[in-house]
Amino acid sequence: MKNPLSILSVGVSSPGGATSNALSDTSSWPSQPVKEVIPGRGVRDVSIIDLSAEPVNRWRLRPRLRRASPLSHHLIEAVAQTLEARPEIDPARVGIVGAFFLGCLVYSVKFYKGLTTDGRRFASPVLFPETVANTPLSHVVAELGIGGPVYSQVGDTSCWISAIRTASVWLQNGDVDHVIVAGAEEFDVHELDGFHSVRWFDEAFPFLLAEGAGAILLGHENKTSIARITSIADGYSFRTRPQSRQAASDCMATFAPHLPVAETATSWITPFAAEATADRPSISIHCGPKVEAFTASCAWNTISAARLIENQTLSSIVVPAWGLSQQIGALALA
Amino acid sequence: MNSGFLPHHPLASIPIVNLREDIVITGWGCVSPLGGDAASTWTALVSGQEARGPITAIPVDGCRVTHGAEAALPALDWIFKKEVSRLSRASRLALPAAREAMADAGILDPSGQSRFSRLEMSLSTTACGMEFGEAFLRGLWSSNPRHQTARMSRYPAQQQISDLQQHLGFTGPSMIVSNACASGANAIGHAGDLIRGGFADIVLTGGFEALCELVFCGFDALQAMDPEVCRPFDLHRRGLMLGEGAAFLVMESAAHAAKRGATVKGRLVGYGHTTDQFHITQPDPSGLPLATAIRIALDRSGLAPSDIGYINAHGTGTPFNDGTEVAAFASVFAPDIHDLAISSTKAAIGHTLGAAGALEAVFCLKSLETGYLPPQINTTNPVPELLGRLAKPGNRLTKKAVLSVNLGFGGSNAAVIFTPA
Repeated sequence: MKNPLSILSVGVSSPGGATSNALSDTSSWPSQPVKEVIPGRGVRDVSIIDLSAEPVNRWRLRPRLRRASPLSHHLIEAVAQTLEARPEIDPARVGIVGAFFLGCLVYSVKFYKGLTTDGRRFASPVLFPETVANTPLSHVVAELGIGGPVYSQVGDTSCWISAIRTASVWLQNGDVDHVIVAGAEEFDVHELDGFHSVRWFDEAFPFLLAEGAGAILLGHENKTSIARITSIADGYSFRTRPQSRQAASDCMATFAPHLPVAETATSWITPFAAEATADRPSISIHCGPKVEAFTASCAWNTISAARLIENQTLSSIVVPAWGLSQQIGALALA
Repeated sequence: MNSGFLPHHPLASIPIVNLREDIVITGWGCVSPLGGDAASTWTALVSGQEARGPITAIPVDGCRVTHGAEAALPALDWIFKKEVSRLSRASRLALPAAREAMADAGILDPSGQSRFSRLEMSLSTTACGMEFGEAFLRGLWSSNPRHQTARMSRYPAQQQISDLQQHLGFTGPSMIVSNACASGANAIGHAGDLIRGGFADIVLTGGFEALCELVFCGFDALQAMDPEVCRPFDLHRRGLMLGEGAAFLVMESAAHAAKRGATVKGRLVGYGHTTDQFHITQPDPSGLPLATAIRIALDRSGLAPSDIGYINAHGTGTPFNDGTEVAAFASVFAPDIHDLAISSTKAAIGHTLGAAGALEAVFCLKSLETGYLPPQINTTNPVPELLGRLAKPGNRLTKKAVLSVNLGFGGSNAAVIFTPA
């Protein structure tokens, strides 16, 4: 990237609360045991958001959100916070990029369950639009009056990095003067069986599965920024787990050797991440158990790292996004 | 400096940089319900054929509509049969289309692998390898559930990226935009933005979409599909016809193409995209958000509305979509609308959702290359605003630029403008 981007404000919707302070210690996050769908399979601890509690319940009666998925609610809370923190910025002049891994899982499963049990002719016309990948962002844009370009990007966890790169393209080309990048995920019990099937639950590297959203408002260099994104490494793709080792190494090699790196890896990629970052200072950006909410986690990690820079605990840090099925990317913050 | 936007648009005062970077197209390829490559698809399209038939690839028993436009899956004879059997339907469509585009652009080596070890991709889809997700859920809910690792791991959208990279021999950054039915045009426009901003010299861009039960039943539930025939811009239109396919373009900066001695086949000169906030499944009936997207694309291209000779319309054949488009076209092109030819190729190949913008871009480029226009089929009673404007068999392109527009659920609007080599 030719010019650094400024992080001007942040937004968080997490099981631990709807402020960035909630990210500092995940040990206080609520969790509940959830059984996999297949009888006799594992029970996993899951941390989910209570949508009836303040402040996230403020969206429940909005016309576009009454029937919307939990994902839409997580997303709008995080995005709204970025705008509320910067009232001088007109939403009509802001673009937004959403990064999603699982997308509208709850309603997709519900819709498909309906048509397989009740019959295809009785598939729900109300649920179907809520299964479409760009629906949550569409609700957010309509409710908050965001008037710039809008992209919903899909991919694995590293999609967060790709979304920031898109924002960088828009800002550098002069298409818009501010861009919100948001990552959001929702929990559905079927994902437990999915992750079990692809062997992501590794007892050696436990994590707390979570849901929620995080968002950052980006602009050009600005003295009032929380932190700056000084470089983006995107597109270190792999197909097999052994290939991810090289991808991790190649990605980290793009950053200056002295830069510390945030500990963000979960699941099976943890040892490869440790190997690729072994010669760098390693920074734990929060206390408590490791949390995995995919693109939302990436947003939270970026926000936590930015706060460390804002309060001058660190002068710079690399925040990796260790994708578990596609690619690895990372940001350098300063 | 030119703002790139209309004076009344909220973004009007933001200076646009890199406005006129020369972005060229050096290759394309597609798989559609009308053919397994761009040449066969184009021949069938301009001769007025349509691909409507009974759907056999996915279960549709019990749906109100059981017909659509299904593509014949091309043989992937360069991939081991066992591996082919593991590919999603979306990958079976995407791989040959991408390979054709790369071969056309001269970026495949004799062994069929990319000459560039890192090649950026800007892609679009809405349903990805959905049949694997469906099979996984059915398996979970069955009386004898079991591990279904392969099915689950090949469901997500990024799996098609891995398939393309593995079987065409490259790696590098990739993004998938999923802005519903406008995604294909967004992916192409984003590829242009990457080149315009100096983020990439060459990009493989395109879209893919395979028929799947969830989406087919969804449109059936919305009663958005015409039970008989898709009639875009007809007074008696009743809905769309779902289709499937894939299309890819190799897009690069003119300097990069010249450096490697590539043949320029067309140019992307304008891209505009907007989001309307009207309704989740219905476009703003005023057509203003779509008109703004078209005006942004025109402004960036430096062309006037009167320079456009053909519009490949979104033209789904639904009452709401086509009405919105007519309003937008009237707003932007009046009084020049009587010099325009318009058609919706969805009557022939169906609505291919995330692939639509990419397939229609290929049709626009073929129009520029051959001078012929895809005719509007099935429309016998056109809406009065477009009387005499719908392209007929044998019609020729008489101007230097063509426009393709797409609209999607969630209010996505996108417009791309192409000119000849």
